[in-house]
Amino acid sequence: MGLRSFLHRITAPPLSGEQMNEPCKMVCVVNQSLKMGKGKIAAQVGHGAVMATMKAGVERPAHLEQWFTTGQKKVCLKGRDAEHLLELEQQAKAAGILTTFVHDAGHTQIPSGSLTVLALGPEIEATLEEITGELKLL
Amino acid sequence: MVSTVDEPSMVFIARHDLKMSAGKLAVQCSHAAVSCTLNARKTHARLVERWRNAGARKICLRADDLATLQRLAGQAQAAGLVTHLVKDAGHTEVPPGTVTVLGIGPAPRRAIDALVSELKPY
Repeated sequence: MGLRSFLHRITAPPLSGEQMNEPCKMVCVVNQSLKMGKGKIAAQVGHGAVMATMKAGVERPAHLEQWFTTGQKKVCLKGRDAEHLLELEQQAKAAGILTTFVHDAGHTQIPSGSLTVLALGPEIEATLEEITGELKLL
Repeated sequence: MVSTVDEPSMVFIARHDLKMSAGKLAVQCSHAAVSCTLNARKTHARLVERWRNAGARKICLRADDLATLQRLAGQAQAAGLVTHLVKDAGHTEVPPGTVTVLGIGPAPRRAIDALVSELKPY
């Protein structure tokens, strides 16, 4: 999608029947088995957040809009390892939640292609909590 | 190593004095990432596309205090770069309104390096 259509999409009024009242949030699940440094995690979660935002602009404009108006809430949780992230992604997808994987380019700290972060949402908080309610805060 | 000097980059400068947890830091940096990206799309659309196509490079550096963040924000703005200062809502860890992270970019790597070369990785 071009820049212009992206901007039109995120600034256009919500489509009728798609309005939401519940607050939305974004959850980033970090692969803890990689033992990344704090700055590394921050950059990876940043990748996830930007990618998820762009994707939502195309696929979930109403969710994105609602997320912006409710303060762009983001939460960072601990995932065990890559298998755990894949498992969560399957569950989230089945629940209709937008999912985004971040794979590292491997310039620093960890091997190239490692699955570092799973971003979920923007999505209604209650829907996300059914998937991520058990996970600990990072 | 292949020269990547001209590839655009985004940098997060986080306050080390706040002693934020890894999750808190990550969330604050991603606030900066999303805000900078969306703002830059309005004013520097081609640069944003170039940045994303080259892997959307992001790095996280540390600053000792708020004054450093404010000084760098001023310098970056004077150089015509996109900046965003993240103010925390204060639900956890820090008081409401605390400035936690400065995001700069995407911008040409040389322009960023000129500003932040003395800072250490977080």
